[in-house]
Amino acid sequence: MRIGRNSIVPILTPATAWFGLFFALPIAAMVVVSFWMVENYKLVPTFTLTNYAKLAQPLYLSIIARTFAIATIVTILAALIGYPVAYYLAQRLKRLRIFVLTLIVLPLWTSYLVRSFAWMLVLGTSGALNWFLQGIGVTDEPVRWFLYSEFAVIVALVHIYLPFFILPVFAVLDKLDHRLLEASTDLGAGPWTTFWTITLPLSRPGISTGCLLVFIPAAGSYVSPELLGGPSVLMIGSVIAQQFGLVFEFAFGSALALTLMMGILIVALGLLRIGMVQGLK
Amino acid sequence: MTREHRIGTFTLAAWTALVVLFLLLPLFVIVAFSFNDSDFPSFPMRGLTLKWYWRFLESEELLTALWNSALVAFATMILATTFGTLAAIGLARSGARTQKFMRPLLSTPMMTPRLVVGIALLNMFNLLSMQLSLLTVIVGHTVVAVPYVILVVTARLVGLDPRIEEAATDLGATRTRVIIDILLPLLRPAVLGSALIAFTLSFDEVVVTFFTTGTENTLPTTIWAMLRYGITPEINAVSTLTMIATVVLALGAEAMIRSGGVHRR
Repeated sequence: MRIGRNSIVPILTPATAWFGLFFALPIAAMVVVSFWMVENYKLVPTFTLTNYAKLAQPLYLSIIARTFAIATIVTILAALIGYPVAYYLAQRLKRLRIFVLTLIVLPLWTSYLVRSFAWMLVLGTSGALNWFLQGIGVTDEPVRWFLYSEFAVIVALVHIYLPFFILPVFAVLDKLDHRLLEASTDLGAGPWTTFWTITLPLSRPGISTGCLLVFIPAAGSYVSPELLGGPSVLMIGSVIAQQFGLVFEFAFGSALALTLMMGILIVALGLLRIGMVQGLK
Repeated sequence: MTREHRIGTFTLAAWTALVVLFLLLPLFVIVAFSFNDSDFPSFPMRGLTLKWYWRFLESEELLTALWNSALVAFATMILATTFGTLAAIGLARSGARTQKFMRPLLSTPMMTPRLVVGIALLNMFNLLSMQLSLLTVIVGHTVVAVPYVILVVTARLVGLDPRIEEAATDLGATRTRVIIDILLPLLRPAVLGSALIAFTLSFDEVVVTFFTTGTENTLPTTIWAMLRYGITPEINAVSTLTMIATVVLALGAEAMIRSGGVHRR
């Protein structure tokens, strides 16, 4: 049954209007403003490419490169760490499955601010990790590069977004047709051959969704690098925030934000392409 | 079960246990330090104390922030749940072409970094010379929360038997009646679950709040400001309390979403 067309429009309206007014319109305004300029802390409507030209400066190029490098490393680490977990939950664990899944999802419910802050306590010179390492005699002096480093930012981002990788991969592996695996075994394939030729290719949609859900927030992260990166690990999020908070460079900030969005969009389209599985249904 | 298979399962189990520890341990460190009798959070810990919790309860600033957070989260919950539920029903019942276009469109805020959502709104409010306040925060939080509500409610809608609606229509119910008397009761677990998700999402949000608020602070933005001046033990106490609150809500939401699955006809 279809509820008639004219009744669809009214109930879709509130969400669509809200989306249009407070998401699509602001993004469109940002596109426009990115071609404006700022004089005496005020936006001046004009058309200029100077904001984008400024992006080509080595300083900003290196920040953009670092941002995408960190986001890529975080995504790869999350995939390598998370895939075996999703596989174990979906294929091997039966009774405790819901319990372990709940434990994995639980941190998602605490704020990413609190989770970033937690790593300050763990990685600091008098933090948990250094205390532990000194306790078991691995090192005499506290290790300084744990906190306020790229290492700290990467560890925290993996921690914060790892569940986003595990969940979609679990969802795909959970629905995997067991007859395919049995057929493969019956035809004489060992467990590794079955994994590489059947399980892994079929989990591609989950892997690509998972990578997307980790990469996007990691590339746009602001809180974690601010708290854990220290002054030398500048990511694009912090620079964007500075333009809007401290220096009133809304035009340049908009150009930066759009560059980030374009970068994310390109990676997202690539990942979605990888996620398409042909045949085998 | 071959021996190889069992070794594999054991390795995977050990790895999963390690990952769960990695996910949970940092949060326990916060809880532990919130009871630590020392001005500086460093290991090894000193004696136990509740004084950081008392500090929180005595702090005018933090209590105001808590009130603001609750207010914003409540308003966001009402708006996002209403809009999202209606949209999910509308999407599920509209044609394939509308769905193919609207579904990805309405989920884009979920795929956009929160920072971009926040500054895009700030930029627009600035162009319109609008006064920033908790109202503008609610606007931003609702943008972020609606896609999650649509997702959860849609998952439940997909599992509903379309014949129930058909029967109601055949018996003469109007479209509005079908939604109010048939769909909403059937969707109740998912709607309540998604409401709790919207609430926690808003209660925990810091970046969107930071850029869309005027002079008022919520709990996360207050913690954020405090962290800029260094770690004080009150932050551990406040974080522990918010963690407990959100985790309780989360477990409630999960139980609710799952409860609707089996019975109810």
